[in-house]
Amino acid sequence: MDFAKKLTDYENVTTKSGVRILETKKDVDENDEKAKLENLLLEQANKAASDLFLGSGSRLFSTIKTLSEDSVVRDKDHLIDAKLYPTKLLPPSSIIEAGSLVVIFESFDSLNFVYATPGEVFHNKNGHFHHDDFIGKPYGCKIRSRNNRGFGFLYLLRPTPELWARSLNHRTQIVHELDSAIVIFNLNIRPNMVVCESGTGSGAMSHCIMRAIAPHGKLHTYEFNQMRAHTAKEEFKRNGVDHLVDVHWRDVCGKPSAESTSNDGRETKEGESLTFGSGGFDIGPAAADAIFLDLPEPWLAIPHAAHTIKPNGGLCSYSPCMEQTQRTCQAMRDYGFHSLKTIEVRLREHYVDEVELEKVPTFKLPRDMNVNNYVPGQSVSPVPSNNGESGPEAKDMEVDTNKKEEETKDSKEVKEPVSKKRMLGCRPFSNMRGHTAFLTFAKAGNKSYPDPLKE
Amino acid sequence: MEAKDTTATSSKIDPYLSSPSSTVSEGEFVLLIFPDKRQYFAQALKSQRGKSPSLKINKRSYSTHMLIGLSYGSVLELQKNSLVPLPEGEDVIPNHQDLSIDTEQPTDNTEANDNRHLVDSNTSQGLSIEELAKMRDDKDISGAEIVDKIIQNSSTFQNKTSFSKAKYIKKKQMKYQPRCRIVKCTSASVCEALFIKDARRIMNLREDSLGQILSYSNVTAGSKVLVFDTCMGLITGALAQRMGGYGSIHAVYTGMQPSYIDVIARFNLNFMEHNSIRWVHAGYLFHDEINTQEKLEGDDLDKIEREKVTWPCHLQPHTEKYLLKMESEKKRLEFLQKRCGRFARKLTRPTLDETFASLKDGKKCDSLIIASQYDPKETLTTLLPFLETSCPFVVFSEYMEPLLECFEMLQKEKLAINIRLSDTWLREYQVLPNRTHPNMTMSQNGGFILTGVKLCPIHGINELDEDLMKEIRAEMGTRRGGKKRKNCPRGGEENKLLKKKPSMR
Repeated sequence: MDFAKKLTDYENVTTKSGVRILETKKDVDENDEKAKLENLLLEQANKAASDLFLGSGSRLFSTIKTLSEDSVVRDKDHLIDAKLYPTKLLPPSSIIEAGSLVVIFESFDSLNFVYATPGEVFHNKNGHFHHDDFIGKPYGCKIRSRNNRGFGFLYLLRPTPELWARSLNHRTQIVHELDSAIVIFNLNIRPNMVVCESGTGSGAMSHCIMRAIAPHGKLHTYEFNQMRAHTAKEEFKRNGVDHLVDVHWRDVCGKPSAESTSNDGRETKEGESLTFGSGGFDIGPAAADAIFLDLPEPWLAIPHAAHTIKPNGGLCSYSPCMEQTQRTCQAMRDYGFHSLKTIEVRLREHYVDEVELEKVPTFKLPRDMNVNNYVPGQSVSPVPSNNGESGPEAKDMEVDTNKKEEETKDSKEVKEPVSKKRMLGCRPFSNMRGHTAFLTFAKAGNKSYPDPLKE
Repeated sequence: MEAKDTTATSSKIDPYLSSPSSTVSEGEFVLLIFPDKRQYFAQALKSQRGKSPSLKINKRSYSTHMLIGLSYGSVLELQKNSLVPLPEGEDVIPNHQDLSIDTEQPTDNTEANDNRHLVDSNTSQGLSIEELAKMRDDKDISGAEIVDKIIQNSSTFQNKTSFSKAKYIKKKQMKYQPRCRIVKCTSASVCEALFIKDARRIMNLREDSLGQILSYSNVTAGSKVLVFDTCMGLITGALAQRMGGYGSIHAVYTGMQPSYIDVIARFNLNFMEHNSIRWVHAGYLFHDEINTQEKLEGDDLDKIEREKVTWPCHLQPHTEKYLLKMESEKKRLEFLQKRCGRFARKLTRPTLDETFASLKDGKKCDSLIIASQYDPKETLTTLLPFLETSCPFVVFSEYMEPLLECFEMLQKEKLAINIRLSDTWLREYQVLPNRTHPNMTMSQNGGFILTGVKLCPIHGINELDEDLMKEIRAEMGTRRGGKKRKNCPRGGEENKLLKKKPSMR
């Protein structure tokens, strides 16, 4: 995924500005007005530079002042020289290389993924697709199958956390893209943050969080199922995002796990360093900027979360049932969390169709049409002639329904091509995901809570 | 500097991009949120020139300098002349002694009171409006005392159920003992505040839609984003915050100059975050191609002018003369302060030509976001070529119809795949013991989102030529038609495969 890549420096105009803090003269002749003015200019220039770089309300402003007094040149330059802050961009990448993760788009609701490997073949109902055909092509291309004379096709897409979540083999129920978008947005997850997540599950949410905390942040993800923890760890490594994540095989609620007993003493697979732990997030007090809980009993994790979270940090609990939510809310209130907000979101998707609206036929039934005159199978004379013969008795006339149909059919033939109104219409999907989970957001209080395990 | 004590790799991390502070610093914008959903933006400013900048709430003004240094999340009580910070643990709804414990714990059905004897005669309150107004103006009576008095003088209060009592007290407290919480200005809180204030000005962009835009566009630190946003700069600011100063945001604007400075200021962006926003004038993108070329060939006058000055911009002889003539030191200082600020901005600001060049040259954009009042179809057609293939774009609109046109165009011209048109339904719940229910009112719409992934214009349309297609179809017809299936072993095989494979999602 793109966020796994290392940022590269790009020069931009700001780095060439030369705006920085300059030395001011300390001893200025009191009578030399010009020198005094010059020094005043320098002072103001320094102030303007620090205001610009650090914001007028900066916490760092005092630091600079003291630094310039101590004449610590390196640190001063470091703080103020714009040259040190070039634009950092992701490297351009549009060509699929050997080993690249590729999302295979079969249809709107059928996605898959492969790691492009020379010599391998991807099979699906549409045909055989050779990885060799993928390599060297740009992402976003359409590939034809080698068999079936190229009738089958698929699209190769650049992986994103959303596409990954849809192509992934779901080991557990995943947090869907709408929910994950809302959670990350409301927890205000930003670059370089430290975030905790429990449980890891299929790792769909983990990828979304990692995208938001790149390039130097850290996601601590906790999973009590050994197999899932290992698989997730391998997956993160294969996707190149392991520098952003620590996988913990741990039950944050602190209950003894079945695996922990059965796996004790058993040798872990080669190169794996996961050991089981129980109870809480083991990253120390007030260390996490945000915590996301997707657990069967989230209220048990709240005391641990209160210990681990930073003051005013965001906490989110994702529970499908209202009973879970209620207990969690109560626990949150007990542990100093405030600004509780429980929401539910649903995605309404729409089809877009080209709609053709026919005009209502304006044809009027002739008044004097006698039922007895009607012979099935014989076409009735066109409208105008009938109209001409209409008499006063026509009002009481009964009209056979069969006849009515016949009439309209005929009138269609007679008339000019029916004028149709063309427009675009949309209609909601007939099915929708009616419920995923209740999302409860809360903010940590400023009080610190001791580690519940040590009490 | 804070990054140093949290991570060992701090030397690599820019000091500006440290994790956010948990206290309000000077100059920062904060939100004051009341339990009745009223939200106020306030800027924590020290008093300047003897005058303290004030904030008007309930027809009274309050100075904001006391906000500096307070921790986010703390609660303030609005007293007669000042905002008073309350100790940790106090809530925006004060605790009240009349609220017996039974509201906190689920009761068995022993509740004696109900509303069978309640008569809506508007006479239950013993205090008159005049008496209340007098109490409110009296400096010696606190809000909590007024609430107590009101409860004492209510003839129906004792007959209410405990839930109803709690609701009654809460209502009175919100009015006579108003409290608010200091909330950090994040993309979510800023968007919510603006949405509550005037949704139409931000094109009905509700916070969940903004959250989706940020996720679906796949922005991350280091992305190159092209955004056309006429929602008062809300999306641009949210992007800058999400990207933390890494990468570049090319924000398209119309008119003489970008006019969204005041909303973007509310995000409290640092220099790097601010600097990642490059304002591109719409004329460079939407004007006829030939003219654009000519323009770029011509001299970049702004650049030439900028190159004439070097930091710290020493004084010209005539300016020096002018300053020396000035009588007071204070005036001189003010003049220089303004001048230096102006030059510092000028030197660090790229010119229009430079911003356009940085958009056009180098790598293509990683994401494209359109949320403008202008025709989305035309905008999308013009801006799509700037997007890298297989990268996502998001078009937001207040109305669905313009997006239908975009949808049709993208599909017909095979420009994109994974196209989805959606809107969201968002419901908030009150979760309290024995009183859990959805909120009575909810926002019905938060805008429509069209998203898709751009296809490669060359390799994305890899169609078979029509003759071959016809030939294959003729062959396949037997297979797909199902009549002669048995004669076609390969088809049968594939059908088996189909059955084996579990359907995805």
